[in-house]
Amino acid sequence: MPSEQDLSADVVIVGSGVAGSSIANELARAGISVIVLEAGPRVDRQHFVENFRNLENKPSYQGPFPSVPWAIHPPNQMTPNDYLHTTGPDAEAYQQVYLRMMGGTTWHWAGCAWRYLPSDFELKTRYGQGRDWAVKYEDLEPFYYQAEVMMGVCGPDPAVEDLGSPRRQPYPMEALPISYAAQQFRKLVSEKTPYRVVHEPQARNTRPYDNRPTCEGHNNCMPICPIGAMYNGSYSVYHAEAAGAHFVPNAVVYKIERDSANKRVTAVHYYDPDKGSHRVTGKYFVIAAHCIETAKLLLVSADEQSPDGIANSSGHVGRNMMDHTGVQVTFISGDKALWPGRGPLETNVIDNFRDGTWRNERGAYLVHMVDDNQVDLATSLAISKGYVGRELEEQIRYLASHTVRLFSHNEGLADPDNRLTLSQTHKDVLGIPHPEVYYKLPEYTVKSCEHTRGLFRELIGLMHGTDEQWTPGYFPQDHPAGSTIMGTDPRDSVVDGFCRTHDHENLFIASSAVFSSVGTGNITLTVAALALRVADTLKKELAHA
Amino acid sequence: MAADRSCFPTNIHLASPNAMRMRRALRMSRRDMLLGAMGAAVVALGASRPGFAATEEADPVVPLFLAVSQRLTDRDVLDPQISHALYAGIIHANPERREQIHKLHDLMASGSFASARALASAAEHSDPVFKDVIHEIMTGWYRGVADQKVVVYRSALMFDITKDAVYPKTYAAGGPFYWTQTPPEVAVPTGEPALSPSKFVVEPT
Repeated sequence: MPSEQDLSADVVIVGSGVAGSSIANELARAGISVIVLEAGPRVDRQHFVENFRNLENKPSYQGPFPSVPWAIHPPNQMTPNDYLHTTGPDAEAYQQVYLRMMGGTTWHWAGCAWRYLPSDFELKTRYGQGRDWAVKYEDLEPFYYQAEVMMGVCGPDPAVEDLGSPRRQPYPMEALPISYAAQQFRKLVSEKTPYRVVHEPQARNTRPYDNRPTCEGHNNCMPICPIGAMYNGSYSVYHAEAAGAHFVPNAVVYKIERDSANKRVTAVHYYDPDKGSHRVTGKYFVIAAHCIETAKLLLVSADEQSPDGIANSSGHVGRNMMDHTGVQVTFISGDKALWPGRGPLETNVIDNFRDGTWRNERGAYLVHMVDDNQVDLATSLAISKGYVGRELEEQIRYLASHTVRLFSHNEGLADPDNRLTLSQTHKDVLGIPHPEVYYKLPEYTVKSCEHTRGLFRELIGLMHGTDEQWTPGYFPQDHPAGSTIMGTDPRDSVVDGFCRTHDHENLFIASSAVFSSVGTGNITLTVAALALRVADTLKKELAHA
Repeated sequence: MAADRSCFPTNIHLASPNAMRMRRALRMSRRDMLLGAMGAAVVALGASRPGFAATEEADPVVPLFLAVSQRLTDRDVLDPQISHALYAGIIHANPERREQIHKLHDLMASGSFASARALASAAEHSDPVFKDVIHEIMTGWYRGVADQKVVVYRSALMFDITKDAVYPKTYAAGGPFYWTQTPPEVAVPTGEPALSPSKFVVEPT
């Protein structure tokens, strides 16, 4: 049932995460009217912090963020799953988690703010693998910097530590001093291997920035920074609202309406939690609803004009699902105490395998030595070993101070057969189908993971490690990409280099959904840079309208 | 009620969101003439009769649980309020534990066990079910968890014994960049386990 009063704005954005909220902020500051429709609720940070403290399974990144019935998100990485249904030979490797809430999934990210390498945009041209983007690194460089300023990114001086992505400006903040544990790891790698450990660029304050405090090292970037020293999408929401953007929580978009020629989008329709339907009109529309939900929405909106879904004349909506696949091992170092868990979670990376000529046959990767407080894990482990009393306390101290966790981001590859479709068997309370993803790991990624395991074994040996616990199989790093892939040819891609859909001239997609390759660095900074480029395009076009 | 006094700082809860909400609620109740009397009555009841007092009087196993816990942690002093909350959680999850804890205490009282290890080892030897009971008691005190729920977070003993090196997540207080400093060294432990080992399962994230 339509609402009595329709909403309207120059630009209508679906999704309030980093992409949607940063576009809203840019446009609202330029005097453009903006409505942002967010499927999930608005919840404040302190509520999430309290949820975390009361959570028994502390490593559960989704735990502090229970979803609402009208906007469910995956409750965990278990297969089978209550929401994201994965199938295929490597179903468990694509069991992503993400959040449907005001501010988006960066409520629980680690703030890792990598720029992609120039080669990541030219994988096909340089290495004969995967696909090229329809945009080059140089095109995105100014927007990378704009995103770094928006988030507040700290990073190393390129003259001292070149991370491989050329910069015209220094990082907005100086690099975060790495922990004692990371210092020891860096020293070992430097002295005993041909590799190097670099400072990870992070959207984390090393000084007061954007009215947010300096990081105090609560070691809880994931699932929730308790003080907001780390950027997340909620800050762009607050800035955008202050500039006049209108955010509507609990607004589940389910239909994208077009004109009779099927060339322009005219409105989106959303359900409120009681399934009351509302229509929102605009001049431009941006779908910024996360890789999985964006493709789902385009497919759900199928109608007589577009029986295969919106923006899907290529048939590539929902295809080319990619991720960073992870290899992970936890072990007990036989060397001096490291006491991980002092400071932020992820601060240092082995970056030697982010690029190389071998990328013509196996995927790139990077390695984190995770600086994670291991006291809880050590306690569970020591109890399971049968210790009690004084001996238990000795074990907890030893294990907590010597546990090392390594994990990798291994490069996925666009394969049209890795595909998101609408579930035929599961629907939510509003009658909207759940997403389903078929996934088979590309051989390119499998070979990359094999190489990583070799490196991990080498590092375990150097640290005189024992009690190795390898995470079985392959696990997702929750960096999904590719579901509305970018390209120059409308026959095999969904958006062009400006993230505009080939099929509908006023419909843009701001999400990792547009990525043509997935590289190795965390995806968020590139999502933000692409989104800010969308905002730039919209500002120019609306100025001329 | 002197025996029930917490051995942790009495104001430790004041920083928690629950406590802040409670303080707000209490301020509101004072301002509200209608609800004020009711609020005061609840506060007065809480002050003179903590919620567990009636149960403790009714359940003689409560002090036995504390006594067994002291032996199994090799500690002379444990917080009786936390003890009661852990006991309640363990019993709620599995009512049979009440009798088993009683029997574990009987076993302890029947001999002279100079250490946690001595008691735990003898207990498992006498009845394998005691291994599970002891696991739950250890999990309660050291992880702060019973019945798969957080009973205490910051007050879990695992943080007490590591407080010279790390903070419980979300409660860091070392100042910016404290993490660059050298933490304490830890010697390789020499003690032996008391119980047979169990499979260790890492819960999914």
